Amino acid sequence: MGRPYGLLRAGFPFHKTLSMRRTTNFPIDIAVGKEGRIYIMCRSDGTAMIRKYTVEDEDLGTMGGYGQGDGQFTWPVTITADSEENLYVSDEYLHRIVAFNREGEHIGTWGEHGTHPGQLNGPAGIAFDPEGNLYVADSLSHRVQKFTKDGEFLFGWGTYGDGEGEFNMPWGVAVDELGDVYVVDWRNDRVQKFNADGEFLFAFGKSGSGNGELNRPAGIDVDQHGDIYVADRGNDRIQLFNAEGRYVQKFLGDATLSKVSLAYMMTNASPNRMRDMADLEPQKYLRSPKSVAVSDDGLMFVPDFGSYRVQVYQNMAVPLTEQEFSPPRRSVTLHQE
Amino acid sequence: MSNDVALMAHLMRRAGFGTTRTELEAYVEKGYENVVDDLVHPERGTPIDEDILDRYFGSEGGYVGTWIYRMLNSRCPLQEKMALFWHHVFATGLGKNQHILASTNQIDLFRSVGMGKIRDILLELSKDPAMIFWLDNNENRKGEPNENYGRELLELFSLGVGNYTEDDIKNCALAFTGWTFGQPIPLYPHGYYTPPFLFIEEEHDNSEKTFLGHTGNLNGDDIINIIVQQPACARFISRHLYNFFVADEPQVPSWNVTPPQDPDAIETLADAFMASDGHISHVLSALFNADFFKEARFKKVKSPTELVTGILKLIGTCEGPQPGMAQYASATQLMGQKLLDPPTVEGWHTGKEWIDGGLLTARVNFAVREVSDASKPGIQDIITRLKNNGNPLSPEAFVESCLEFAGPLVVGDTTRQYLTEFAEANGEINFRDDAAAEENQTLLVSMLQLIVASREYQLG
Repeated sequence: MGRPYGLLRAGFPFHKTLSMRRTTNFPIDIAVGKEGRIYIMCRSDGTAMIRKYTVEDEDLGTMGGYGQGDGQFTWPVTITADSEENLYVSDEYLHRIVAFNREGEHIGTWGEHGTHPGQLNGPAGIAFDPEGNLYVADSLSHRVQKFTKDGEFLFGWGTYGDGEGEFNMPWGVAVDELGDVYVVDWRNDRVQKFNADGEFLFAFGKSGSGNGELNRPAGIDVDQHGDIYVADRGNDRIQLFNAEGRYVQKFLGDATLSKVSLAYMMTNASPNRMRDMADLEPQKYLRSPKSVAVSDDGLMFVPDFGSYRVQVYQNMAVPLTEQEFSPPRRSVTLHQE
Repeated sequence: MSNDVALMAHLMRRAGFGTTRTELEAYVEKGYENVVDDLVHPERGTPIDEDILDRYFGSEGGYVGTWIYRMLNSRCPLQEKMALFWHHVFATGLGKNQHILASTNQIDLFRSVGMGKIRDILLELSKDPAMIFWLDNNENRKGEPNENYGRELLELFSLGVGNYTEDDIKNCALAFTGWTFGQPIPLYPHGYYTPPFLFIEEEHDNSEKTFLGHTGNLNGDDIINIIVQQPACARFISRHLYNFFVADEPQVPSWNVTPPQDPDAIETLADAFMASDGHISHVLSALFNADFFKEARFKKVKSPTELVTGILKLIGTCEGPQPGMAQYASATQLMGQKLLDPPTVEGWHTGKEWIDGGLLTARVNFAVREVSDASKPGIQDIITRLKNNGNPLSPEAFVESCLEFAGPLVVGDTTRQYLTEFAEANGEINFRDDAAAEENQTLLVSMLQLIVASREYQLG
């Protein structure tokens, strides 16, 4: 299925909140599985785990754990699923990639610390391409490298800097259905797009807090329409850009109490009273989101790092044909046709 | 200008958290007075990379570990030292507050305003939700006053016992009625939220009050303006600074009966305080440039935080983000200083009270364990320096070199004799090539372990 000629953006309402403190402390990333399964990567000082969940707010247990042994991670950054729903986790402290099957069994670890081609130095974002190969943002070496899912080095590009194809501690990576690669250039406050050969296509974003501006952006994803979602961590928001990198809208957070939170609060009288005394406006906002993931059915999952939960939005965009969407205009117009 | 290495090491132990040898040499190169001038002007320095801290350490539970990382890596170490100073003076306990975000916001506040004017510091302190809750000012209302904050503001935070009356306390408390904070959203289910300062007009007592001879419808701002003009405030804050930076004084509650050990020094600092309208940076500049400071080497027992950070500087670790910083917070706690949670409103008892049998064991165990790994950058640096020296070292010279690189540290005759006897068991020592260095690095580690376990190393 190719991309639609255009989109009627009918809305992108808040859908639901998942999980709560204790269950998903400091969720740094999320992987979308099949049949409503999701995998939430949690990371805090001295603790790390994958929490397996469903979009119905059901807790299916944990996978992995903090440490340096097999099947453990110390500073996990990104979790992503392959076509068979195996989970791959980058660890920027241990400089490696750890893999699990969807039942949580450790199925592999690869990565050698270093700065030579094929070695890893603070791997952050990871993403599969349509052929099942894995791109890795090798953050401390300011480059992107491509591996097979078993860790065989294929090629890479990038060096330190702020020019085209240069990076300053890149974080998130996403690959679209065409094989093009999107890299969040964290300390340059921008996103760069490359083709599958690593050739620079375009960049968007600059430092700031205005619409389309970025403050140390982290994770990224691309949906089936080519829309680009950026976790604008320092501005506590998600920003949506179209396939050309033009700003479309932002998401500041609209959280409600999740199902599990409601159940908890029904048995805790004191915090209920405190909530009644408090200004509740801040509770809905995102706090330091470090990633974003979109599913094929149009759900946008935002691990709300500072609030121990996941906020979910539903994309209501309608694909348009050429008959339903007039040709591009060079200039804006006041005509109402 | 003094280029004295030992003096510079003294300055950086007190005004900072120690240095690596390379950092120390760079400071010496710059000159003592210039370094002091930079220290008291943190705005000149490049701030620590907050985005890096957030990226690698960004979760609330790791705040103290992150704070220790700041102490080690701040380009303005005096700023962090002053945050620690005010945390000690305005001691606020997490054990009671149980709100980590409010407590960490308070430390951030001290970092932000701690080198400015005392008026601003006391005003911000009075609006700080952690302090308000700690001393019950959230229950201080017109018609039902709670005097806890008013009393401690005068007794422990600004004037000291003997410089105000009970009526002053009562009226001070009335002036702060209605100074409270907005109820934060509770921790569960979605985490801590910052409580905002809140002034509730209906709960404020607008009656006429008399405070330290001033009469009127005084509010909290007026009280602070009156306090900071008192010579007693200048002397009290100066004595706190002397106790923290120069030499151990008795514990604060005895200050009204025990005079300062160096009254002239307190007067010098108090004069700087009054002349600068209570600008703490000016007082610190006077302090670090004074002879009484320069002559006060090893006259203070290191606080646990100073001991831990000093050891980490010696071994040269934690220069970049790494997991496990919380272990150093645990280490200070084991030695009797649980950061964010001082035992009482008086803060920690300092000086010799940092040491008892159990606490000394914790201090020595930590120090010995940390220097046991010869691969640590700081120890490798010492090996390199000894190697570059080339010549074989007599046992006496080896001891002298180790004391130099571990401080420089001044030790008594007994300690020196003990260290020398240990070195003598190995005859002539050299690090002239890689093979010799590898052969002798175990000896070096053992010597450093003996040094950091010594009585003298407990002093800063």
